[in-house]
Amino acid sequence: MNSLLFLIDEISKWTGRVVSFLIVILTFLICYEVIARYLLNRPTIWVHESSSMLFGAYIILGGAYTLYMGGHVNMDVVYGRLLPKKKALIDVFTFWIFLLFCGSLIWMGGDSAWRSLKNFEHSGSLWNPPIYPFKLVLPLGVFLLFLQGLAKFIRDLMVIFKERL
Amino acid sequence: MHIELITIILFAFLILILITGLPLAFGMGGVAALIVLILQGPKALSILSGVTYGVMDNFILTAIPLFIFMGLILQHSGVADDAYEMMYKWIGGIKGGLAIGTVIVCTIFAACTGISGAATVTMGVIALPAMLKYNYHKSIAVGCISAGGALGILIPPSVLMIVYGVFSGESIGKLYAGGVFPGLLLAGLFIIYIAIRCYFQPQLGPPIPVKERANWREKFISLRAVILPIVLIIIVLGTIFNGVCTPTEAAAIGCAGSLICAAIHRKLNWKLLKNACYEGLRLSCMVVWIIIGGSCFASLYTYVGALEFIKGLVAALPISPYLIIAGMQVSLFILGCLMDPGGIVMITIPIFVPIIKMLGFDPVWFGVLFIVNMEMAYLTPPFGFNLFYMKAIVPKNITMMDIYKSIVPFVCLQACCLIICILFPKIILWLPQILIK
Repeated sequence: MNSLLFLIDEISKWTGRVVSFLIVILTFLICYEVIARYLLNRPTIWVHESSSMLFGAYIILGGAYTLYMGGHVNMDVVYGRLLPKKKALIDVFTFWIFLLFCGSLIWMGGDSAWRSLKNFEHSGSLWNPPIYPFKLVLPLGVFLLFLQGLAKFIRDLMVIFKERL
Repeated sequence: MHIELITIILFAFLILILITGLPLAFGMGGVAALIVLILQGPKALSILSGVTYGVMDNFILTAIPLFIFMGLILQHSGVADDAYEMMYKWIGGIKGGLAIGTVIVCTIFAACTGISGAATVTMGVIALPAMLKYNYHKSIAVGCISAGGALGILIPPSVLMIVYGVFSGESIGKLYAGGVFPGLLLAGLFIIYIAIRCYFQPQLGPPIPVKERANWREKFISLRAVILPIVLIIIVLGTIFNGVCTPTEAAAIGCAGSLICAAIHRKLNWKLLKNACYEGLRLSCMVVWIIIGGSCFASLYTYVGALEFIKGLVAALPISPYLIIAGMQVSLFILGCLMDPGGIVMITIPIFVPIIKMLGFDPVWFGVLFIVNMEMAYLTPPFGFNLFYMKAIVPKNITMMDIYKSIVPFVCLQACCLIICILFPKIILWLPQILIK
C-alpha cells in the first residue's frame, strides 16, 4: 500500500514539475506575438489560441501537484484547530464531495473529449488546429487530481484505524 | 421546490462544506455537482465540464499565471534589495524613515507585480532585519510590511482585478486605472501615520545614527536602483493603458522584463528559474482552481434562479442604495476575515454586480471598492495571507499575537481609505475616464 501511495505522489510531483515550465514557453510565445505584430508588422494567427490552450493544460495538469504540495487553500477557522485524527475523520466524509466533483469532470470531460476525438474535431478558427488533445487534458488532469485525493483518503483511513488498533 | 428554499439550501450547504476544511475549489465545485445531480439528474452534469473548458481556454485569465511568475522572478531578482538600500540612504535619517521607506518600496513593487505575497515576503526578508537592527518597535516594523505588501493587489497590475474583471464583464484596463489613486492614497495614509506616530514616539522608529548616514554622492548613486523597476512599470502599465497590449500580453512582456532584471543583477540561474516555476504553478493553480470551482458554483445562481430571487429581494428593500453598498462592504469584510479573496470574488461578485448595476452604480467603481476591501482581507485574522507569510519570516521572539496587534492601525487606515473612496467616487473614476476611451 505504501508503495502505491509513494507512486501516486511521485506521479503528481513530476507531472507538476514538468508542466510548471510551460509558463516559460507561454512567456516567449506571447512576447513573440507582440514583437511580430509591432516590429515585424506580421501578427500571427496562432499565438492567441495556442497560448490559451497551453494555459488550460498548465492549470488542469498542475491540479494534482498543487494538492500534493498542500496548495489548495481551505477555510481553517474550525478545521485548523482540530486534532489530526478528527481532521482525518472529517476528510473521509468530505472526500465524497471531492469525488463527486472530480467524477463529474472526468465523466463529462471524457465524454466530450471522446466525441471530439471520434470526429477529429478542429477549432474552426483561421488557424484551425485539432482540438481533441486539448479536450483530453481535462479528464486526464482531473484523473491525476483524483488519484492524489485518493492517496490522501487512504492516508486518512490509516490515521483513523491505526489509532484504534 | 421553491426558489427561496433552494437558495437557502444552496448557501447553507456551501458554508457547511467549507467549514469542514475541504479546499475552496473542490467545496464549491462539489456542491455545484451535488445540487445539479439532485435537481436535474446526471446528464446535466455536463454543465460543469462546459464551464471548466470555458475557464481553460480563456485568454484573459492566462494573465494570472504570467503575473504570478513575474512577481516570483522579481522577488528573487535583487531589485528590492537595491531599492531598499536607496531608501535607507535617503530617508533612514528621519524618524520612522526605514518604515516609510518600506512602504515606498512596497508601492513600487506593487506597481510591478500583481500579488500580495511577493512584496510581503521580499520586504520581510530585507526590511524586517534592518528595522529590528536599528531598534524599530516590532509593531511598526511588522505592521508596515504586512500592510505595504497587500498594496500589490490594489495598485495595478493585479491578479485579483483580473478575476473580478472577467466575472463581472468589466474592462481590466479600466479597473487597473481605477486602482492607481486609491492605491497611492492608501500608501500615503500609511506613510503619514508612520511619520506622525514616530515623530511623537521616536522610540518606535529611531533615526539611524548620524555617522552611518550616507553622503550626497552615495545618495545619488543609489538612485539608479529604481531605474529598472520604473522602466518595467512604464512598459507593463503603459502598454495596457494605451491599449497597445492586452493585459495578458503586457504580463508576458513583464515576465521577460523581470527575467532581464534578474540577469542584470546577476541573479538569474537555474535554481531561481526552477523554484519560480514550481512555486508559480502552485500559486496559479490555487487561484485558477478556485475560479473553476467557483464558476461551477456561480453557474447555479442563474441555473436555479437564485440571482433573480436575490435581486428582487434587494429591490424590494425600502432603504437607500448607499445602505446596500455599506451592507455589502460589511459582509465582504466579514468574509475577508474567514476566506481567501479569490473565493470571495467567485461567491459574491455574480450576485453583487447585477445588484450594483440595478441600483445605477458604476461597476468599475464597485470593483475597486471591492479590491480596497480585500486589502483588509489579507490582514485580518484568522484567515489572512499576509499574516501567514509574516509568521513564516519573523524571528522567534515575535509571536502571532504581536503580528495581530501590529496590523490593527493599518486595517483602520484601510477602512478609512474605503470610506473615502465611497464618499468621493472621483478618486477611483477620474483616471479610467481620461485614460481609457
